[in-house]
Amino acid sequence: MSLIARLRGMLRRERLDQELDEELRSHVEMRTVDNLAAGMSPEDAYFDAQKRFGNTTLLKEDTRAVDIIDWLDECARDFRYALRMLQRSPGFTAVAVLTLALGIGANTAIFSVVDAILLRPLPYPEPERLVRIWESSRKHDSPRNVVNPLNFLDWRDHSQSFESMAAISGSMTNLSSHGQPHAVQGMQVSPDFFSILRVPPLLGRTFTAEDGIAGHDQVVILSYELWQRQYGADPKIIGAKIDVDAVPYTVIGIMPRGFSFPKIKSEVWTPLPLARTEDWKHGRYLTVVARLKPGVSLGQAQQDMLRVANFTAQARPSYNKNWSANVFPMLEDATRGVRRPLWVLLASVGFLLLIACANVANLLLMRGTGRLRELAVRSALGAARSRIVRQLFVESLLLSLAGMAAGLLFAHLGLRSLLALIPQNAPLPRSESIAIDARVLLFTFLASLFTAVVFGLVPALRLSRVDLQNALKQGSLRGGVGGHQSLRRCFVVAEVALALLLSVGAGLMLRSFSRLISVDPGFSPAHLLTMHIWTSPARYHDDLKRSQYVEHILGEIRNTPGIQAAGSTHFLPLTEKISGSCFSPADQPAPSPAESPSAQFLIISSGYFQAMGTSIRIGRDFDDRDSFSSQPVAIVNHAFVQRFYSGQNVLAKQLRVCWTIEKPVEIVGVVADARQAQLQDAPEPTIFLSNSQAPMYFATLVVRATGDPRQIARSAEAAVHRVDPDQAVSDIQAMETVFSDSVSSPRFQAVLLLVFAGLAVALAMIGVYGIVSYSISQRTNEIGIRVALGARSADVLRLVLREALTLAAIALLLGLAGSLALSRVLQSLLFEVTPTDPITLASVCFVVLAVSAFAAVLPARRAMRIDPMAALRYE
Amino acid sequence: MLKPKNDLLQGTLALLVLKTLAREPMHGYGITLHIQMVSKDFLRVEEGSLYPALHRMEQEGWVSAEWRSTENNRRARYYRLTSTGRKQLAEEEKNWECLTEAVAQVLQFV
Repeated sequence: MSLIARLRGMLRRERLDQELDEELRSHVEMRTVDNLAAGMSPEDAYFDAQKRFGNTTLLKEDTRAVDIIDWLDECARDFRYALRMLQRSPGFTAVAVLTLALGIGANTAIFSVVDAILLRPLPYPEPERLVRIWESSRKHDSPRNVVNPLNFLDWRDHSQSFESMAAISGSMTNLSSHGQPHAVQGMQVSPDFFSILRVPPLLGRTFTAEDGIAGHDQVVILSYELWQRQYGADPKIIGAKIDVDAVPYTVIGIMPRGFSFPKIKSEVWTPLPLARTEDWKHGRYLTVVARLKPGVSLGQAQQDMLRVANFTAQARPSYNKNWSANVFPMLEDATRGVRRPLWVLLASVGFLLLIACANVANLLLMRGTGRLRELAVRSALGAARSRIVRQLFVESLLLSLAGMAAGLLFAHLGLRSLLALIPQNAPLPRSESIAIDARVLLFTFLASLFTAVVFGLVPALRLSRVDLQNALKQGSLRGGVGGHQSLRRCFVVAEVALALLLSVGAGLMLRSFSRLISVDPGFSPAHLLTMHIWTSPARYHDDLKRSQYVEHILGEIRNTPGIQAAGSTHFLPLTEKISGSCFSPADQPAPSPAESPSAQFLIISSGYFQAMGTSIRIGRDFDDRDSFSSQPVAIVNHAFVQRFYSGQNVLAKQLRVCWTIEKPVEIVGVVADARQAQLQDAPEPTIFLSNSQAPMYFATLVVRATGDPRQIARSAEAAVHRVDPDQAVSDIQAMETVFSDSVSSPRFQAVLLLVFAGLAVALAMIGVYGIVSYSISQRTNEIGIRVALGARSADVLRLVLREALTLAAIALLLGLAGSLALSRVLQSLLFEVTPTDPITLASVCFVVLAVSAFAAVLPARRAMRIDPMAALRYE
Repeated sequence: MLKPKNDLLQGTLALLVLKTLAREPMHGYGITLHIQMVSKDFLRVEEGSLYPALHRMEQEGWVSAEWRSTENNRRARYYRLTSTGRKQLAEEEKNWECLTEAVAQVLQFV
C-alpha cells in the first residue's frame, strides 16, 4: 500500500470511523432480524448478533490498524532495529556520521551566509519594487555611474514608471555632544527617501517635502544606535537642537533599531535640498533609489528611463552626450560583486557533500555485503523486498540525522571562524544578519534528507536486488557482490574527480591571491598611519581659510616626535574610491565636457608622495610656492603621460580642468604610478591638484612613523586638536590594515576553497583506501596463489596499485574535463591567472595522484605480507 | 498482519470473499451468509476477521464499496469486485489449486 493512500486514510479517519460504525450497525441489525425470524427472543437475537463480533471497539481498531497503527508500528520497529545495527558497529557509525557531519556542516555554514546576503529579501515592505538608477556611459565603460543633480530632477519629473524617486549623497558629519567632537557617517537624502523605503520612524517623524527646500532644511533624523550611544535614549531629544557640522539642527525623528541602507552606512540623515540652479555643474555625485509603480516591470522601467535619458542628453548635449541611464533591482545592486563568489562557494560545499555521500554509500555497500546473509535470512522468513529496502533506508536516515546534529555543531563553530575572516572595516554587504536561524535549519534538514536519499537509496536498492535465496544457499556470499564492486568503483571515481575539481578551484584562487598580494601598489604601506578628517562647512566655508587649514594640521603633525613625514589625499588608495573629471589641453580650443578626455583626479597636499613613498620622476612636488592665489599647478602620473603625451615633455604644459579651478593649471611634476581604487586595477591616468589651490572639505591624513604607526595615533590626533579642538578625527588605522582589508574578499574565497578542497581530498583518500583494502580482502587467495607461484612483493604491489591508479587516472580525466567546462565561472574571480593555468592544473593533478597512490599503498603493504599458506587455507 | 481468529487457513478468507463477490456485489453480512450456506454450514466466517479483511481488500483496490439499500430497504455497504480484484481472484484460485494438488500428492505418496 502506498504511503499516500495511508496518509489519505489518516486524514479520512473521522469519516471512516462513522462509516465503519454504520456498516457494523447495519450488519448487527440484519443478523438480529434473521435471528428473530429463526424464533429467538428479541433480547437473545440482538445479543447473539453482538456476540459474534466480540468486542466491537477492538474490531474497529483492528480494521483501522491496517491503515496507520500497523504502519507506524513497523516504522518504530525499523528504527529500533536500525539503532541496534548501528550500535553494533560503532566504528562504521562514527566514520559515517563524521563524514556526513563535515558535508552537512560546511553546507549549513555557507548557506547561512548565502541566505543572509543573497536570498533574503531586503528589510523593507514590497522590496521587489525597489530599484537603483544610475547614469551610464559607454565611453567610460561605466554602467553604474553616480548621477548629476539636474539629471536627477529631470528623471524625477519626466519618468512615468516610478511611485517616487530619491537622491542620496553620503558624507561624514561632525556632531558634538558634551563638548566632544565626533564624526559619524551621515546621509543627505531627498525628502521622499523614507517613504520610498516605507520605513516609519520609531519616534517623531521623517522628512516632508518642505524639509527639502533650502532654508527649511535644518532638521535631522538619528539612528537608533546613535540615539542610544550618544543621547542616552532620551525621548525628549525630539524637538531639541544639536550641532551638525557646527550648525544647530532640530532633531525630528529616531529611526527604528537596525534600520540601514545597503552599502551606504549612515547614522544621521539630513535633507538634501535640490533646485534647478547652477550647482549642477559640480558634476555627478548622487546615488538614486526609486520605487516602481505596482505592476510596472523592470524592463518597462528601463525603457522609460532610456526615453528620459534621451531627453536629458538633448537638453544638455555638451554635458550628457553619450550618457544614458540604467535601472537595477536594489537587491542585485547591493550584492553586486559578491554574488558569483558566494555561489561558487555554495557549489563547492555542494560538491563536498556529494563526495561525503559517495563515501558513506561505499561504506554502506561494503558493510551491506557483509550483511548479505542477514538480509537473506530475513527475506527467507518472508520479508518483502520493499521491507528490506525500507529497513536499509531507515538506517541511512538515522545516519544522516545524526550527521545533521553533529553538522550543526560544526556549522556553529565554523561560522564563527568564517565570520572572523571578514574584517570589521570592509564587511560583505548585508553580512550583519548572518546566523543559523529557522530558514537555515530547514535547509539543513532538507539537505540531510537529500543526503540520506543519495547515499542510502542506491545501496539499499542494489543490495536488495541480489538473489538472496541463492546467496543463502551458496554459503559463500562472493557470487552476488561483483556488481557492487563496480558500483563502488564508480563512486570512488566520482569522489576523486570532484575532489580534483575543488582542488583546481582552490589552486587557482590561491595562485590568483598570491599574484594579487605581490602586486607593487606603488607606495609603501609599512609604518604608515591614516586618519580621516571632515571639516565643517559652517566654520571653513571660506575657500582661503579652508585651503590653509589642512596645511596647518600637517605642519603641527610633522613637528611631533616619532613622525617622519605627513601628507593628505582626499581619497585614500585601496578603499575603492576614485573621482574622475574631464580636462583638455589649454593650447587647443575647448571641447564640450562630454567630448573632453577624462582622467582620475586626486586632491593632495605637499608631502603626500614623500609620506607614501611614491617617487617623483620628473619635476617637483607641491610646496609653499603653490598658494591659493598663485599660479595653479598640477602633477600627473606616469600612466597619464603614456596615454596623452607619450614621448613628450609634459612639464610646463597647461591644462584646462573641469574641477573647481577656473584658470588653466600648469604641470610641474610627474610621479610613478600607484594603485588607487583596488590592488587589481591597473593604474589609471591621474591628475593631482593641490589642496591649497582646490580645497576639499575632507581629507585622509597619511603619516609616516619611524616605528610602529599605531604608537603615534594618540600624538597625531592631539596635533589635530591643537589646531582645532572641535575637529573630529575618524577611521584611524594603519595603512597595512587598509591594505589587508582591501584583499579580504579574495582571501576569504581562497581560504574557504582551500579548506573545502582539503576536506574533499581527505574524503576521497578514505574512499580510495576503502576500495583498495576491500579488493585486497576479496583477492586474498588469488594473491596467495601468485605468491606461491613465485610473485615477488613488488609484483603484488604493482597488481594492487594498478587498480587504484587506473581509477585515479579516469577520475583525473573526468575532473579535468569538469574544470575546463566550469572555467568560465571562475574567470571573473581570478587575477592574472587563467582558469586553465597549466601550472595549477598540473600541480593539482600531481597532488591528487600522489594522494591516491598513498591511500592505495597503505592497504597494499598488507597484501605484500600475505602468507600463501594461510591465504589458501582461508577459503 | 491479520491474525486468524477462525478455522479458515490464513489467506483463504480473501479467496472466499473474492469468489463470493465475483457472483454479485454483496454487503458484509450477505458474504457471511453466502459462504455459510454454500459450504453447507461447514465454513463460518467470523465478523471479527471479515471486516478487517474487506477493509484491506478495499485499500488494495481489489474491491470497491458503496452504500445501497437492501431488498428490505435497509442501508448497507455493498462491495463489488474490481478488475484488479478479478485478477487477484484468478491468481489465488491458481495458488489454491497448486496447494491442494501438492497436499494431495503428499497424501497419496505411499
